[in-house]
Amino acid sequence: MAPISQFSASNRFLCPQSAKDLLESVDVFLFDCDGVIWKGDKLIEGVPDALQSLRSWRKKLAFVTNNCLKSRKQYVKKFQELGLQVGEDEIFCSSFAAAMFLKMNDFPRDKKVYVVGEDGMLEEMALAGYECLGGTQDGFKQVDFKSNTKFEHDENVGAVVVGLDTYINYYKMQYATLCIRENRGCLFIATNRDSVGNLTDLQEWPVTGAMVGAICGATQKEPIVVGKPSTFLMDFMRDRFKVPTSRMCMVGDRLDSDILFGLNAGCKTLLVLSVDGARQSTPPNTSLESLVSSSMTPSARIPHDQHANA
Amino acid sequence: MSSCRSVSHFLRASPKASGSVDLPGSGLRSRGLFSGAVLKPCSLLASSAGQLRECKPMASNSAVVRASSRKLENVEELIDSVETFILDCDGVVWKGDKLIDGVPETLDMLRAKGKRLVFVTNNSTKSRKQYGKKFETLGLNVTEEEIFASSFAAAAYLESINFPKDKKIYVIGEDGILKELELAGFQYFGGPADGEKKIELKPGFMMHHDENVGAVVVGFDRHFNYYKVQYGTLCIRENPGCLFIATNRDAVTHLTDAQEWAGGGSMVGALCGSTQKEPIVVGKPSTFMMDYLANKFGITKSQICMVGDRLDTDILFGQNGGCRTLLVLSGVTTLERLESPNNSIQPDFYTNQLSDLLAVKAAAV
Repeated sequence: MAPISQFSASNRFLCPQSAKDLLESVDVFLFDCDGVIWKGDKLIEGVPDALQSLRSWRKKLAFVTNNCLKSRKQYVKKFQELGLQVGEDEIFCSSFAAAMFLKMNDFPRDKKVYVVGEDGMLEEMALAGYECLGGTQDGFKQVDFKSNTKFEHDENVGAVVVGLDTYINYYKMQYATLCIRENRGCLFIATNRDSVGNLTDLQEWPVTGAMVGAICGATQKEPIVVGKPSTFLMDFMRDRFKVPTSRMCMVGDRLDSDILFGLNAGCKTLLVLSVDGARQSTPPNTSLESLVSSSMTPSARIPHDQHANA
Repeated sequence: MSSCRSVSHFLRASPKASGSVDLPGSGLRSRGLFSGAVLKPCSLLASSAGQLRECKPMASNSAVVRASSRKLENVEELIDSVETFILDCDGVVWKGDKLIDGVPETLDMLRAKGKRLVFVTNNSTKSRKQYGKKFETLGLNVTEEEIFASSFAAAAYLESINFPKDKKIYVIGEDGILKELELAGFQYFGGPADGEKKIELKPGFMMHHDENVGAVVVGFDRHFNYYKVQYGTLCIRENPGCLFIATNRDAVTHLTDAQEWAGGGSMVGALCGSTQKEPIVVGKPSTFMMDYLANKFGITKSQICMVGDRLDTDILFGQNGGCRTLLVLSGVTTLERLESPNNSIQPDFYTNQLSDLLAVKAAAV
């Protein structure tokens, strides 16, 4: 974790007064999704009311997720299926971040992108106008080791983008490795480096950190990270909402991505603790002032130092 | 980010052609991009039985200031001062399945001079027995007892720490590791068969794992997949005291002599990424195999010469172990790389290929 300085040492548990202060000082709430809004495909209790309340208080909402399995359009559909109305322009997923990174850096249109990732990433890349190789379909390709033929790769690949890929296999690892090691100037971009996440409601699963770790291991290079805790997406949100980051609050369940992202960007931060019998919990409080905390999970804290309890 | 265009431009505009411009690395940094967490610089390296120590894999022993490597001129002096030659295989003895010129004669010459030969390879795809067959196929006279692959190292390490026989080992790797664990009498599962297993991320689905797994061994695995990543991750994260062992962390390997292939370092890297833990490395450059051999054959390390083609595994292995080192340029390392200012690993000597040792015969004539 990056060093965090100049914050008060105490963690402040969200209580009615501090919730009220928070609501008064924040115009935009940025929400992580996995573990905050939903777990896998299951909505977390109290979320619809919380979001509805915030909107009724004229707060702006944004959903900032490192999960790049879906594109923004696909996320809109997921929200709809869970009974939540969220606009595409409120969603900032890391698949979108990767495509925007290439756009903002004038990645040449005559160069190709090799994707270690799934459909969501391919869709965002296509929307941004880039020609992609890889994706889910390469997860079904086998390498022929018997015939001693050369493993070919496209020398015109100018960037390898690595995201969550549940179809990871040796073919993709080798293809990405050759592009990064042998194509001059080839970029190595990672959507994020989270280790595990709630891809289903019942347990955690390895996420992008595993895929990125694999490519780092073979290339001995570090990627450019576009998702949390990198503040790359913050520029988009400042532009979208026209407020300073000090009037934004990042709400998330991970210290090393969500909270660090918020701290790096100068936002307020609200850590949502897991709904877990072993963790501290307080009875839900239905008063308006603490609506955010009671609606998100039974307990929540604002961490102000890097030693916040997780 | 003053040099960036307004982000709204990108949010609204439809794709249009832009000029073909190379992306300057320094330009990217000036935009304040976060380059991600730095890979932890150390692995835990298994040294002598049961002991672990940290080792910076890319740097040589910092306590010793080493002179630049010298081209091997006085072959006779080197051979006379060494009792045991430890030889890497890929890039020294063979490249892919092709024997490197002059190797058989060189091995014969060294044996005739009474030198002990040991072959230490990080390649874990085969067991010692299977390697013995490969040597035989190439017409080389090498016995199983002279071969120490990292698959063997994993089993030997577990034996050295008295890993309980009633605990299980989950293997992310190929047949060589399974065979060595079998020979050592351990309970194991996983391996190539798990390469066929698929997962479906849907509501209510849960992957169960064996709570009796006490170690996950990760090596080079061409059947690598998400199922294995999750299974290994669950064992390491949830089984108390579960060991995370890596046969090696080589970035690339020469499966064929035509090109480089993503190596064991990539499988290990994946598990490091999902567990946020560093493995115990049993293969080069960890000195575990060096300590094991020294103990087994009763040899003094100062009388050993490590011959290899890779600076960050072979030569570092030799230096960490306190023996002489000879780099051959018949494998992955070029003279340019050796002499590059970015390289801090300096072997005692370097030469083109192993058969250069035959010059000792010419000198004697």
